[in-house]
Amino acid sequence: MGYRFDWNPIWHHRDQVLSGLAITIALSIVGLLGALAIGMAVGTAGAARARPLRVFAVLYVEGVRNVPLLLHIYLWFLGFSAIQLPAFLCAALGLSIYSGAYAAELFRTGLTGVPAQQSEAAAALGLRRWTILRKVIYPQAFRAIAPSLASLSSQLVKDSSLASVVAVGELAYEAGAIDADTFRTFEVYATITVLYLLLVTISSHLILRLVPTVGERSHG
Amino acid sequence: MKRRYFLTLASLAPAFVLWPVFARADDVPDSVAAVKARGKLLAGVKMDTPPFGFLNESNEPAGFDLDILRAVAATIGVPIEFVRVTSVTRIPLLLSGNVDVVAASMTHTREREHTIDFSEDYYTGGQTLLVPKASAITGVDGLDGKRVAVQQGTTLAKNIAALAPKANVTAFRDYDAAWLALAQGRADALTGSLSILEGFAKNNDGFKIVGGLLSKEPFGVGMRHGDWAMRDAVNATLQDLWASGAYAKLYQTWFGGAPSEPIEVYPQ
Amino acid sequence: MGDLLVRNAPFLLAGLRATLALAGWTALFGTILAMPVALLRYLDVPVLGRACAAYIWFIRGTPLLVVLLLCYFALPALFGYHTTASAAALVGFVVFLAAYAAQDMLTGLHSVPRTLLEGGAALGLTRLQVIRLIVVPLGARIAVPALFGQYVRMFKYTSVASALGATELTGSVLLVNGRVFQPLPLLGIAAVVYLVVCLSISMLGRWAQVRLVPGVVGLSPKG
Repeated sequence: MGYRFDWNPIWHHRDQVLSGLAITIALSIVGLLGALAIGMAVGTAGAARARPLRVFAVLYVEGVRNVPLLLHIYLWFLGFSAIQLPAFLCAALGLSIYSGAYAAELFRTGLTGVPAQQSEAAAALGLRRWTILRKVIYPQAFRAIAPSLASLSSQLVKDSSLASVVAVGELAYEAGAIDADTFRTFEVYATITVLYLLLVTISSHLILRLVPTVGERSHG
Repeated sequence: MKRRYFLTLASLAPAFVLWPVFARADDVPDSVAAVKARGKLLAGVKMDTPPFGFLNESNEPAGFDLDILRAVAATIGVPIEFVRVTSVTRIPLLLSGNVDVVAASMTHTREREHTIDFSEDYYTGGQTLLVPKASAITGVDGLDGKRVAVQQGTTLAKNIAALAPKANVTAFRDYDAAWLALAQGRADALTGSLSILEGFAKNNDGFKIVGGLLSKEPFGVGMRHGDWAMRDAVNATLQDLWASGAYAKLYQTWFGGAPSEPIEVYPQ
Repeated sequence: MGDLLVRNAPFLLAGLRATLALAGWTALFGTILAMPVALLRYLDVPVLGRACAAYIWFIRGTPLLVVLLLCYFALPALFGYHTTASAAALVGFVVFLAAYAAQDMLTGLHSVPRTLLEGGAALGLTRLQVIRLIVVPLGARIAVPALFGQYVRMFKYTSVASALGATELTGSVLLVNGRVFQPLPLLGIAAVVYLVVCLSISMLGRWAQVRLVPGVVGLSPKG
């Protein structure tokens, strides 16, 4: 191959790699929480009986997820520049809104999968609607969609790399900075590839472990 | 037997898909021969950096760097194809063979000489600051705590970090993004090469150049390490342009004025 | 705004053409590449099957941007070959799509019920014949909806090429915006174009599903 490896420059720039890693993790967590919140709200609307709610859910899901994530990020960063959101927030908003559409579809499927008799039975026991949702319906839906949520979260970790285009100092951005400094192109990108593989694997394992336990406490 | 045949065929399919791009490069690059064989020069230029390389009103690439490389293509005797690069991608794209030469307002530095080769310097600029007209910033001393936009992967980024260590510097991936950051008020100042900032200021009222020249930035055309044939071709082109007076005309067109630094012409 | 669009329409349309070409070739080559990968995995061929599994795992764990950066910069630097920006982008997208498509095809192949395989064997078909005549046609049809989902995703993802300086739709919008500074109309137009094309691909997918899948009603992917 005739290529001489030199990993010293990477070690020399380890602070940059680590800070990029930290920001990737932070961005992924914020983005995932936002996506889950949007997904639960819109997914619940999509599974509702009221037609206007369902129409709203369909419009949100189709309107948002058929536009590239990159445009969502640029829209907040360039389009709504008058409100001057920090770049990190623009990327987090873009990730939340975009992945939220996918999460909404998951929640809708999960919620409609819970048999209607269960909420009827719970209502017959005198439970309020909100209590039924929180204690009976959501925990089952969460468990049902846990594997899909795991792949959604690993997708989100990978997608966070697009925040580099608006100069958020996450892994891909720092890789560019180190590459421009050292020209050790292969070593730089090999390093961040391994880090992404680790992050993706760990995050989906975490979700698979955590999500099914949601609501278990409330079962007492 | 039949099964093995089937599987072998199946496993070869990816190789066929990938085949065209895995042509091995020679160990000692002679891009001029390769360019002639290919029939076109792949030229790396920026498209967001007026007046060196940018899109004009009709969205065609134009600029000083492009005209220099057009002359190089004419010397070699092939048509030219422009490939967009940014400060971050220009050297990797050169090394990976995506382009044969790069003229992308790139400062000729000793550090970069370790990785690529340079032609003679074809332009000498300097770094300065662009700020909104109403700004109180008058020079690097006033940058403490201010947000400064710059391009990632440039000498400019290193210089400003050294000159204004207390400034809050954000390095953007390309000039467009850095310039928009200033224009949108996300940054208090944009630092860059004088001619480039003049280009932005000329097209947009409301901004002024302050602080004088912070550094001297000689620009060179980049080619792969050891690609002497390409370097000779570029140097010969630059010297011919200078000797014939064409260089002065290009300079007048793009910068308005006479060249500040001559191009050295070697005896025949 | 009308003036802005009229003046820049040819440039933006050229960007759209580049996006469509990139997405189209990616879908074609990516699907072709995915077929042997899925088959080798399904048959669990000793070394190659493992290699395909590793390939799928690797790509599915790596961001597209990083895959593209590897194809543009890192691999040419490592192996010393030269490539062009468009070839590097195409290879990156093809390699990326193929891993996801192969996984979907594999799911399709695995959803063909065991009883059909056993039935085929009982009729005296060899294992290869069972796979060629029963598993592949049925599995491929089951995989069609998921594959079109990947095409939609891929079409949106072509925008990432702009981060590497390609002047496809998103890249041209950003370049024009750098000069005229009208982000909202420009990004809005791009968003509408992506939306329309994505919805069209989805509709095409549903049409293909209706055309292809009736023969296998009741066989849905296991997930």
